[in-house]
Amino acid sequence: MPSAKSKDKDRTPAWLVRWLEPLVLLFPAGVWLVLLLVLPTLIIFELSFVPGIRPGDLVIPSGLGNYLRIFEPLTLLVIGRSLLFAIGTTVFCLLLGFPVAYWLGVIAPKRWQNLLLLAFVLPLWTSSLLRSYAWISILRPTGVLNSLLASVGLPSLDLLNQMPAVLIGMTYSLLPYMVLILYASLEKLDRRLLEAAADLGATPAQTFWWVTVPQVLPGLAASSLLVFINALGDFVNPELLGGPSSMTAARLIYNKFLGATPDWGMGSAMSTMLIVMVTLSIALLIKYGDRRATDL
Amino acid sequence: MIPVLPDRSLPLSRRQLLRRSMLGLSGLMLSGGLSSCGWRLGNVQNRGIIQSAANEMFIYTWAQYVDQELLKAFQTTSGIRAVTELFDSNEAMLAALQAGKGATFSIIYPSEYIIPEMRDKKLILPLDQSRLAGLTNLLPHLRQSPNDPGNRYGIPFSWGTTGLVYNSEKFPEAITDWDDLWKYKERLKRRMTLLNDPREVLGAALKSMGYSYNEKNPDLVKKAGEKLLTLKPYLANFTTDAWRDQIVAGDLWVAMGYSSDAGPLLQQNPKLKYIVPQSGSSRWVDLMVIPTTAPNVEGAYQWINFVMQPDVAAATAKRLAVTTPNLAAIELLPADVQHDPVAYPPPEILDRCEAMAFLDRSTAEVYDQAWLKVTSS
Repeated sequence: MPSAKSKDKDRTPAWLVRWLEPLVLLFPAGVWLVLLLVLPTLIIFELSFVPGIRPGDLVIPSGLGNYLRIFEPLTLLVIGRSLLFAIGTTVFCLLLGFPVAYWLGVIAPKRWQNLLLLAFVLPLWTSSLLRSYAWISILRPTGVLNSLLASVGLPSLDLLNQMPAVLIGMTYSLLPYMVLILYASLEKLDRRLLEAAADLGATPAQTFWWVTVPQVLPGLAASSLLVFINALGDFVNPELLGGPSSMTAARLIYNKFLGATPDWGMGSAMSTMLIVMVTLSIALLIKYGDRRATDL
Repeated sequence: MIPVLPDRSLPLSRRQLLRRSMLGLSGLMLSGGLSSCGWRLGNVQNRGIIQSAANEMFIYTWAQYVDQELLKAFQTTSGIRAVTELFDSNEAMLAALQAGKGATFSIIYPSEYIIPEMRDKKLILPLDQSRLAGLTNLLPHLRQSPNDPGNRYGIPFSWGTTGLVYNSEKFPEAITDWDDLWKYKERLKRRMTLLNDPREVLGAALKSMGYSYNEKNPDLVKKAGEKLLTLKPYLANFTTDAWRDQIVAGDLWVAMGYSSDAGPLLQQNPKLKYIVPQSGSSRWVDLMVIPTTAPNVEGAYQWINFVMQPDVAAATAKRLAVTTPNLAAIELLPADVQHDPVAYPPPEILDRCEAMAFLDRSTAEVYDQAWLKVTSS
């Protein structure tokens, strides 16, 4: 008995240290994550099994009804529209953002890079709501854009309250993210490879396609995915700029929780579906991105 | 015999850890939700967590209803510093309340149609009529509302109608009824908006077909939704707020809106006109209620009595362009305001308006579905 006791006494500190170290380091952030991310997500998951629940109702999970309703044509149409907006925004951000990031990371003088980058990130410091409102006053029928067009004798454009306005607003909101990540990736570009390609007789276009693009592919995938995910969850731009036919999954989820037609069960099922979709695409990115990185 | 116990000092393997945490989670879910009785989502109880000082009070209200001047005047007379927070829809207010936010507020300004729901969920207190002064000054028909007979739960603060605002310059032939929207839809293409509100918009479509704003027959509600779908390609938006700036600027020519919003706009742009459609519309009342969890009930009664004083009510009505339900206050207003057909419509206009009724849940579901179809397609 005494020997066992002393043995325990000897071992406790090691045991404690082994547990204490991660506990102390992870505890604050861990509590934060568990209380404010893991638990709410679990509650959403549970609510997704309760048909038609509203605040004040008993939570009695009773089947997959909410998930089946996602496959009704109307909901699928809304989800399809969300995907269309998100893919469109990603493509436009890529088309607009890549040249900018390339110029910033490869061509622009080094000492200007940080300042230029800062200028590009500056819009992120204002509220996204404010930026969407700014687009309303630019795009509305008698707005800034049409006044400019009229002053140079061009016909007016009717963009507000339609799909183009949503794409403009979302592309504008998310472009800085695209540029930042692509810049980080392009800045590390190995220029010796470009010179080697030129030496060996590749045209600039060939060099770009076969040497530059493969090097920044992980960055391209990461920035596109970040833009895509954010666009999928954006409800401010579709709500403010989209007009009568701009119901997206994110807006519908908002309506199901806080709008005029509350149904927290359906809202939770759609949220769960979005979470699964986003998680899957991130998992794909990690797998795809890693493999590419080891290939290079 | 010493029983062989597993060595406790070994750290858990990842799999063990995973299994144990899964067990913990399922235990949580079991105790929380999967048991036969379940838990109640957003169960609001007065736990007495929030104790505000007697000289402080929080008010949850619409943007137009309380200004600094009113708050200052209240502080001078009562010594209570009142602070406002704003909501922009009854549903958002209700959701916030049920998420536990209500515990901070002592006064809330909901619309009348949502009172039965708040009452049934025990979110608001029945008012002690003996502590209220000047109830007899209220418009008689507002004292007998089916949603809150005898003002047991709420005291009317403002009221109005729902109608159409149109630009008479762009539209010299007057708009007089809901059906004009369909009749002139080609000319109005992408120049008109409807409210972003299922009850109001479906109600308007129902009225245009000769039915009640509160129709309970599911087939008729569906028909109203289908009628709205034929107008949808010609709409600029469904919006409750954004139309105001745009119709003043001339981007929109016709918008569905509340009389309280229309009044100030008509003064900004004299070309704008407000009408209550011929076939009928809705009339609404916004009330002051005291939530069950109010930290300062005494202050809440003081606030209601203060706001109902005829001189205060008249000054507020003039300054904020709201329509007061206080007869004694109306008498104090300038003659042109008293006879303003937008703010104080004559009885023949009010007679063709219906108060929005509280719908049972299955009927509300029919409206929700019809609205989903209109807005999502």
